[in-house]
Formats: sequence, structure tokens, C-alpha cells
Amino acid sequence: MSTLISKRQKRALSHTALYFVLGLIAMIALFPMVYVILASFRTDYEIFKYALPFSKNTIIPVEWTMGNYREIFDKFQFATPLKNTFIVVGILVPINLLISSLAGYAFAFFNFKGKKLLFSIFIVSFMVPIDSIALPLYSFIASLGLVDSYWALILPSVSSGLAMFLFTQFFRSLPESLLEAARIDGASLIQVFIKIVLPLSVPVIITAGLMIFVTEWNNYLWPLLVTRSPDVRTIQVALAYFKDEHETFWSFIYAASSISAVVPVLLFLPLQKYFVQGVTSSGLKG
Amino acid sequence: MLLKIAPYLLISPALVFILVFKIYPIISVVAGSFIRRGELSVRTYEILFGDRVFWNAFLTTLKMNAVMIPLQIVISLILALLINNTIKGVGVFRSIYYLPVTMAISVASVTWGLMMNVNNGVFNSLLSLIGVPRQGFFTDPNQALWCIVLMATWKGCGYWMMYLLAGLKGVDTAIYESAKIDGAGYFTVLFKITLPLIRHAMLFVLVANTSANMLLFAPSKLITEGGPQNSTNVLMYEVYKSAFRNGNMSRAGAITAILLLLIVLMVYLQFKLMNRGEEDA
Repeated sequence: MSTLISKRQKRALSHTALYFVLGLIAMIALFPMVYVILASFRTDYEIFKYALPFSKNTIIPVEWTMGNYREIFDKFQFATPLKNTFIVVGILVPINLLISSLAGYAFAFFNFKGKKLLFSIFIVSFMVPIDSIALPLYSFIASLGLVDSYWALILPSVSSGLAMFLFTQFFRSLPESLLEAARIDGASLIQVFIKIVLPLSVPVIITAGLMIFVTEWNNYLWPLLVTRSPDVRTIQVALAYFKDEHETFWSFIYAASSISAVVPVLLFLPLQKYFVQGVTSSGLKG
Repeated sequence: MLLKIAPYLLISPALVFILVFKIYPIISVVAGSFIRRGELSVRTYEILFGDRVFWNAFLTTLKMNAVMIPLQIVISLILALLINNTIKGVGVFRSIYYLPVTMAISVASVTWGLMMNVNNGVFNSLLSLIGVPRQGFFTDPNQALWCIVLMATWKGCGYWMMYLLAGLKGVDTAIYESAKIDGAGYFTVLFKITLPLIRHAMLFVLVANTSANMLLFAPSKLITEGGPQNSTNVLMYEVYKSAFRNGNMSRAGAITAILLLLIVLMVYLQFKLMNRGEEDA
């Protein structure tokens, strides 16, 4: 009897310890975000005043204000970069998902000459972030006369090796028999894809879509290079200009940063169940 | 006939974009670094190899990554192992740990720059609580690089955790049970059973993490501008400065080529290392 209790106590104890560790890490993960969001509701004066010595008002606002948000939208037209980013992402994500899933379909279900080589080209392409090829890419886009347009932001990201990889791995986990029809009759190929494969692929579509969205939303160097006029600037570029031109207005940076940080979170939280499924099905098991 | 060409048709849109906007730029950047005034030449490299700024950036990049890559892999693995526990509410923690990933590197840089400000940053406020004197952080040449490592680790680990978690979820739990019955301790199970079983996920994370971190330069640009005393001047920031501040495209191209070569070399070694593990297992 006594050993039973001690065993149960031991489990409870180890659970408590586990929650403690998990909670501690969660605080570290959340702190910078919470700090920024809280700071966005206060004036510069207040942030400086309560910085030292440490008190609860170092972090929590004394007087809450929406002034920073009003200012960045009224004075600095923050709505324009927000709109631009949504337009770019809105065009890019569906196109990217479509062409990546088609390629994944081919890699998962067909055998063809040069398959290995082609697949490795895709893999190499996603190991190389856009930053490292920004330079020649810029010359290329400039030679097409596309600098300072939405196209300059969209075209280089229309195809992503990572999305293609996720789709391929997911399709490979689907039962063979579902796809026999596609192999026998060429005409039904697209039908099978639309009617059978895609409906089964919701988790991976959401996962890949979220990853493309977050990458694009957070893309910094490339938009900075190819957008010159405020009309096409994206959110991260607008943020960078804030810092250069208005270095002293910390609270504006905090407000704009909060908007930048919160949008992906709002998208991610309701979809996170699918996201985990999508990553898990990426075939990275064992 | 249609079935023969079908896969090529399906791949072609994606392939065209990859070739035009990814592969072609990579090739042209490498090729461009060997051309000087319209002629084939290695002069750009000769100048580069005699340049102390370049070597300093080279060493800084290696120093930063020698710490950052192992640190991020170990922390991500610990997070994945913690999250793989089947206790109540673990999903909430998983989401929270992923949140820093969704923050833009530019926003994270600016935020950490403000939080670690010498005069009124919240980190110094917190340190004053436990009696630690004011720290320089990004303004101290001995601390700046490690502050960047800290920030990047905070931001990056949730992402790699997800892939490692995917690997762990694929491991049959019956294996753990039988190992427990055999009396194997936690670390024996971890190193002898779990890690070898998730080596595909590990390899993916290792390779992707290496290429991402070797090219990280947003904090150097946004917080420290390579300083203080060039202590955070990494190769990728050199590329950025050469190309877009000094207009020296051939120098930028040469450094990019060296960076890519360095990454390929590291990835090759990682493959070798992991495959040797496979033969042993």
C-alpha cells in the first residue's frame, strides 16, 4: 500500500517538475513578444521613466494609450504597406501551393527519367535562402524592368522547394490503390488529383501555406532591395524606414512591430492542429 | 504517350521558376566572381584573400556558427523531447514555443536591440534586480556576437523543434516499453535507441539549420551594423555592404560563392557523419 502511494506521489511530483520546466521555457518564449505589445500602448516618456529601477511598471503600462497606433496609421500611412503585403501574399500563396502540389504529385506517383536529378534540384533550391542570391536576382529583375513592382516581390517566391518537398512526402504516405486510376488512364490524371488527392491533403496544404505566408510576411532584405516607392513597400520594409528616419520614436516601432508579430500568430493559432499533422506527415519519421 | 510526358508537364511550372529565380542566380553569382572587366580572372579572389576585413568576417562567421548550430540543435531536441510527453495541455506549450518563429527576423532584431539597450533596456532592469551591474550587450565587443546568438536561438528553436517532434512521433512507443523492461536508463534509451531512430529528421534539421544560420545577417545590419569593433561583421553582411553600399559587385559575388562553398562543405561532412552512424547502427 505504502509503495503504491509513494509511486503515485512520485508521478505527481515529476509532473509538477515537468510543468514547471515547460512553464519556464514558455515565459522565455513569450517575454519579448509580451513586452513589445505592452510597450506599444505607452508613450516614449513612460518607457524611459520606468526603465530603472525595475518595478512592475517597467513592463506594464501606467497609462494605456492607443496614440502610437493612431500615429503610425495617420502620420506614417502604415495601412499602405499592410495592404501591399496582403496583396503580395494573397497572390503568391495560392499560386505557390498549386504549382508545388502538382510537382509533388509527379514526384510521389510517377517514375520517370531524371527524377532523382530533378528532385535534388528542388532540394538544393530550398537550402539556399533568397538572401544569398539577392544580388544576381536583383540584376535579373532589374533587367526585366520589374523593380518597384509587385511582380518583383511575387515572381522569385512563386515556387518553393520546401512546399514541394512537404507535398511529395505527404503524397507518398497515401495508399497506392487510390491512385491506380490515375496511372491507367491519362485523362483522369487531373481529376484524380482534384477529386481524390487534394481533399485528403488539407493538413499539408495548410502547413505549406502557413510556411509560405510566414516566410513572405517576414521577408526583409529582398523587398528592401526591390521596392523603392512607398506605394509598393511591404510591412517589413516600412518598419525598417521607421527606424532610420524616426530613430527616437521607440513607441512607434513597438506599435508597428506588434502588428507585424501578431498577424502570423492570429493565423497560426487556429490552424496549429493541422500544422502539426502536416509536419508530422512530412515523412521525417525514423 | 500522355502518361509518359505527364510527370514532366506536372513539374514544369515549378521547375521553370526554380531554374530561373534560384538556380540561374546561384550559377551567375559564382560565374560573375571570376569575371573582371569582361575577362576570365581570379583577381577578385586574390584581392579578397589579402583583405584583413574579409578574414575577420570569415572567422567571425565560423566562431558564431560553431556555437550557434550545436546550441540550437541541442535546445530544439530538448524542447521536442519535452513536448513529446503525453501530459495534459502539452499542445498549448507546443504553440507557445513556436510563436517566436512567426516573428520577423527584422522585428526580432529591433525588439532585442531595444530590450538589450545599455541605458534603458528591460534586460538591464531585470539584471539590476539581482544586483548585476549594467551590461553593454550589443555595444560591448565581447558580448555583441553572443547576444546575436542568444536572439537567434530564441527565435529559431521552435521551428527545428517541430521537425524533430515529427521524427519522435514516428517512433513506435513499444520500443521504449521494451527498453524500460530491459532496465535501460533514460539516457541509454535516448542515445542508443531514440536518436538513431530519428536520424532522418536530425539530418534534415542539421542541414537546413546550417544553411540558415551561416547566412544570418539581419541582426548585424539592424542592431550593430557589424560593430562594435567589427565583432559582429559576418560574411553575409560583408556581401550586403559590398554590393549595396560600395557597389562592388564582384567582391560581393566572390564572398557569396565562398559562403555557398562553405555551406556545401559543411553539409557534405554532416551527411558523411550521419551515414557513418547509420552503418554502425
